[in-house]
Amino acid sequence: MVPAELALALPRSLERQDAGSEAERAVTQLFGALRDPVLRYVTALGLRSEEAEEIVQETFIALLRHLRLGRPQTNLRGWIFRVAHNLALKRRQRSGRAPLRSLEGLALEGEARPDPAPNPEEQLAGGQRRRRLLAVVRALPERDRGCLFMRAEGLGYREIAAALGISLGAVCLSVKRSLDRLARAEGA
Amino acid sequence: MHPQRPHLEDQDLLLAASAELPAAETAEVRSHLASCEGCRARMADLEHAMGEFRRFYRQELDAGLPPADRSLERLQARIDAAEPPGAWHQRTRRWLRQPGLALAASVALAVGVFQLAQARGRRGPSGAEHSVAVPSPRLTPGVTLPLTQRDVCSAATQAQVPAVPDALQRQVFAAYGIKDPAPGAYEVDYLITPQLGGASSLRNLWPEPYFDTRWNARVKDALEDRLHQLVCSGQLDLATAQRDIARDWIAAYKKYFDTDQPLAAPEGDGGENTGSV
Repeated sequence: MVPAELALALPRSLERQDAGSEAERAVTQLFGALRDPVLRYVTALGLRSEEAEEIVQETFIALLRHLRLGRPQTNLRGWIFRVAHNLALKRRQRSGRAPLRSLEGLALEGEARPDPAPNPEEQLAGGQRRRRLLAVVRALPERDRGCLFMRAEGLGYREIAAALGISLGAVCLSVKRSLDRLARAEGA
Repeated sequence: MHPQRPHLEDQDLLLAASAELPAAETAEVRSHLASCEGCRARMADLEHAMGEFRRFYRQELDAGLPPADRSLERLQARIDAAEPPGAWHQRTRRWLRQPGLALAASVALAVGVFQLAQARGRRGPSGAEHSVAVPSPRLTPGVTLPLTQRDVCSAATQAQVPAVPDALQRQVFAAYGIKDPAPGAYEVDYLITPQLGGASSLRNLWPEPYFDTRWNARVKDALEDRLHQLVCSGQLDLATAQRDIARDWIAAYKKYFDTDQPLAAPEGDGGENTGSV
């Protein structure tokens, strides 16, 4: 399901001469709507923040090429996440450096996260909960993390299935499994 | 209570929560929830867990997110620098006009014809699950450019796989008798990837189904990466890599990953090792 803000009024088939400017317009529009979600997503997969920014740029340049070539425009959000996901995993594999753990990229810059808890006991409890949840997320299989993070970014189950090239049933199973694990950690 | 009525499945609960069920099923789910306390509680637990995780995820990530305006400027600069539509054809034509490369192109054609002749003599891969994931050996035997190992491993060739031009894509669909391909159903893909010296030729391209098959484009990407790695680290010679991927890429995948299943298949546990899913 594409939310209203993403329902672009793209013509069914872009005319050759207009394809360039139409595609650019669509790319900037989608960038406005999806830059933060995609950046968060690839960072959550364990990229350093400068790498994550670069992946986002590459993804939207690939989108430009995709649209200029008149390729399918159905489920562009799923397409964008798919490209970003693949580029991120490739980058992580090829960077040669030890990969960051999931959700670690931005933590390097702001180690002390603003904590809204008012008193020391609550702060302590909040810190423990955070460590528990991080441990659960980092113990998830790669694909479960992908499904969970995309869902947290508001993608529908069908969009996620298309983005990861797996069945709808597999996405639902994966998200359910992760939610169960998270719920157990919350209860601990 | 409706004792005979089975409880809702997790999938229905999740899809209902994300408004992805068709109207009729949504109504069924609603009426079941109205009468079943157990399923209502499960639904509430799932939504609560998702909401809590979403809050946690955003709290972890949002604080460090760099502002978007600089990224938009960067993107705009890259868009301006990117080639306008049509430049690809011109570049290819210019490229083919160079005398040495014209020869290269005709060698590529000859290699294609040779491989076509080979293809006639062998049986295509069988099994229903393969029927759409592998190209027809008659239409897409695989065509290579006369490149050396050093050529395909140089930084320049590794950079980007050239997009397949529109006109060529249409020819590929026509060759396979696909009229009006459904949007999103296929990607016109190289059989022998340019990373391994594959040519941008009708006989090296086929409409590869995007999703819904186990042996899909992403699985093939993983194979291409693996072969490229093996070739560039000197563990496999380029001609063998080209031949194996052209002859039956699924068999090649099984051989080079030593597995009978795509490592990223739904029944596996999602592979860090495949690199592309």
